[in-house]
Amino acid sequence: MRHRSPRWAPLPGVLLAILVALLARPSWAIDRTFSGSAQFDYLFDPSEPNGSARQIGFDGFTAEVALKLSADLTNHASVNVKVCFGCHGFEDDMAYLDYRVMDELNFRVGRFSPSFGGFNLRHDPGNHGTSDKPLPYDMGRMLRYPEWNLGVLPAPFPNNGLEIDGTHAFGKSATLDYALYAVTGFKASEGEFDLDFVQSRSLYYVGNGSLPTVGGRLSVTKRFAPRVEATLGASGMGGTFDPNNLYTYVIVGTDLSVRVKQTSIRAEYLARRQDLATTDPTQLKYTLAQAGTSFVKHGAYVEVERPINRVVTMIGRADGLFRIGNAGIDSDLQRSNWMGRLTYATTFAVERGVKVKASTEFWQFSDADAAGRGRDVVFHLGVVGLF
Amino acid sequence: MIACTLAILLIACRASLDGPPAQVDGLDPAILPPDVGAPYALFSDRCSKCHSLARALNASGNTKEYWDDCVERMRRQPGSGISVEDTTVVLRFLYYYAATQANVQRPE
Repeated sequence: MRHRSPRWAPLPGVLLAILVALLARPSWAIDRTFSGSAQFDYLFDPSEPNGSARQIGFDGFTAEVALKLSADLTNHASVNVKVCFGCHGFEDDMAYLDYRVMDELNFRVGRFSPSFGGFNLRHDPGNHGTSDKPLPYDMGRMLRYPEWNLGVLPAPFPNNGLEIDGTHAFGKSATLDYALYAVTGFKASEGEFDLDFVQSRSLYYVGNGSLPTVGGRLSVTKRFAPRVEATLGASGMGGTFDPNNLYTYVIVGTDLSVRVKQTSIRAEYLARRQDLATTDPTQLKYTLAQAGTSFVKHGAYVEVERPINRVVTMIGRADGLFRIGNAGIDSDLQRSNWMGRLTYATTFAVERGVKVKASTEFWQFSDADAAGRGRDVVFHLGVVGLF
Repeated sequence: MIACTLAILLIACRASLDGPPAQVDGLDPAILPPDVGAPYALFSDRCSKCHSLARALNASGNTKEYWDDCVERMRRQPGSGISVEDTTVVLRFLYYYAATQANVQRPE
């Protein structure tokens, strides 16, 4: 008997949900919003010899497609379903029910990316101006991703679970947002030395241990003038990632965004402390005395985004990763590694809902590659359509 | 590539000075009625914080009821910066926009 590939398995259910919602009779009085985006991007790395760029990054064309349906069932209940198609085929990015008792108390249950950081809301390619994500949230567009195992918290990070969140306004000029959640969390197989992000977001959508990951977020938004405001937030989550619940990870972050008219300045810092499986210490690159049984990966970015006019938006971004600690014996990483990147990006609105993204990235690494290079320059040229 | 990007940037800037493009991310404030200018500016500020303005302007629903629910949902998004007072002003623009779109789409 031929089995359907697991990566396609969510598709029928999601399409059915979308179809039912779209065909719902008007008399049901359900307000629906159908939105989506598609980004096609070309990454060109001219400094790598022919063919070798593929070993450190996804050079060439990549596509990211997403369709989302939001429906307000009643004044208190709404559902959101989103399916995306990227490097791992079709995946269910969100499928959750919100039940809002009041502004200060909302229950979210289902599959969703739990509240963490400021970038979470903008992870869709249609909602951020660069072709790729900031390094702390990178999910495969960064150079040297195989040895670094992506960023600190690759976004999106859909999980099954429950979140309680809410917002409270203090007068006209300040709001406080909070979120507390328990979700399945990230996964890895027994004996792994890092989180397995592909396994974590792929079928089957169940946890590999009996303990949930718990976390929360608190943020304050303050308006200083009618067109000037700032948001300061702090987030954290922690849990176990192995089937036996022996090894833990903790991710913390803080974020600040300042908005002056339509100019945005954003900064975030994330750190993940990660246990390494110690069932077989000979599989560790360094002895326990040398480097311990864990590592910490730090990540940060600062970016400025400013529309020049209704056609052109400019973005400048500086971001980086720093990793310190032990590693698996096969890893190319040392006890301490870092990478930094400067990005200059421009988006051009061709039509309403269609943008061309162009960016140049200057990379620097703490250690040289096999060819002796510690720097790289790459170019992105992409187009994104959204509705 | 940098030179190429800069050249495109200059061309785009120049093009935008020559005249308003027909369809870009937002609307040209100059073509809006005076009483809609301020509401559009607030809509533009608040709604471009998390997503492109095209997302709202190309939305599938375009009725008052649709926008009431949509803006309310967006107000509750963490860090949206949309106050209860803002929703009234933002909706003033969106009602205007819904009405003009209805006129555009109405068959002869």
